[in-house]
Amino acid sequence: MIFRAVEDTDLIRQAARGAVEAFNLLVSRWEKRVYNYLLRITGNREDALDLTQDVFLKAYQNLRKLDDPGRFAPWLYRIAHNEAYSMFRKRRPESDVAELEPEGTDTGITVGGSSVFPLELSLAVAGALNQLSPEQREAVVLKIYQGFKFEEMAEILSCPVSTVKSRLYAAFELLKIELAPIKARGVS
Amino acid sequence: MSCSPFDLRDYVLKELSDSERKQVEVHIKGCQGCSEEWERLRLTEAALFSLREEEIPQRIAFVSDKIFEPSPWRRGWAAFWGSTARLGFASAAMLSVALVVFAVVRPAAPTPGPLASSANVKAVSVSAAEIQQQIQTAVERAVAASETRQQQKFELAVAEIRQQDLKERQQLARYADAALEMSTRRNLVVERSSYGFPRADKGGLQ
Repeated sequence: MIFRAVEDTDLIRQAARGAVEAFNLLVSRWEKRVYNYLLRITGNREDALDLTQDVFLKAYQNLRKLDDPGRFAPWLYRIAHNEAYSMFRKRRPESDVAELEPEGTDTGITVGGSSVFPLELSLAVAGALNQLSPEQREAVVLKIYQGFKFEEMAEILSCPVSTVKSRLYAAFELLKIELAPIKARGVS
Repeated sequence: MSCSPFDLRDYVLKELSDSERKQVEVHIKGCQGCSEEWERLRLTEAALFSLREEEIPQRIAFVSDKIFEPSPWRRGWAAFWGSTARLGFASAAMLSVALVVFAVVRPAAPTPGPLASSANVKAVSVSAAEIQQQIQTAVERAVAASETRQQQKFELAVAEIRQQDLKERQQLARYADAALEMSTRRNLVVERSSYGFPRADKGGLQ
């Protein structure tokens, strides 16, 4: 994992000097994670794909502004977050950001797509995530599915660590009520 | 409410240091309530992990892909503007085109046609009269200024001629005086030499 991080750092430095192939390799490594992050906060595959494309284009255009290559991941997700919320605002400019809800969340996004995990649990998780506010859901996605630390999440979301914790703790309290009993029944 | 030394959620979310984690683990073993709470959090996290990541439907286009290459037209445009000589040629061509366009679209002199309305004719005639008046005034001013300048030049020339004439007269007067004096002296010498006086070149006459 450390070796991988060092490799990414080298690739970022090379890409910042104009090595397109180095950036292409970075895209290959990060596109799936960024796509899934955007998929979970938008709830729409097409939007997630378009946004992922935009994110990497913007990242390439602004890579020289990244002072610390070691902060590439939060920097990249910050771009992704901004792109997603920019799209939300364009579609519903009169709405407050806190009120923005991703589209297509009624059906969930991975239901029926898994052959490894039971359908019932997947349905339950998708349903529980949909009950969260967009901000709480994004906090869960960044922490659970993307593995960021609180400080990195604060950087991505441009808010204090205390706010990140508050959103995440509140989300966990809701998810715990919904999911812990199901999991405890041994559904998986 | 948990009585753990550190937040159990931070423990589950792996935000604690190793020493903090050990303290929590020791506490959980001896605390029924915290142990149950930790179990619920652990089950919640495990349930969330049941959602797997999706494969991306299609590869993200690389910046080196042909889709991001500029079009031939754009490449040609960039190459054209990248050349100083061509830029100069383009500037000259644009200037020529501008001159031709100006010559073509330049408005003709106002000539009231037979279909012009009376109001327009009146307006044009009034404007023409005003213009004629302004021209006349301007011509008169120019003529007056020219006459003034000529008069000043003439007076200067006259003064200069008078001054020159005065100088010549004075010069002539001096010449006449000198000639008269010379003649007088000559007569005096002739007169004295006829009476046996010593010659002037011998030192007798001063």
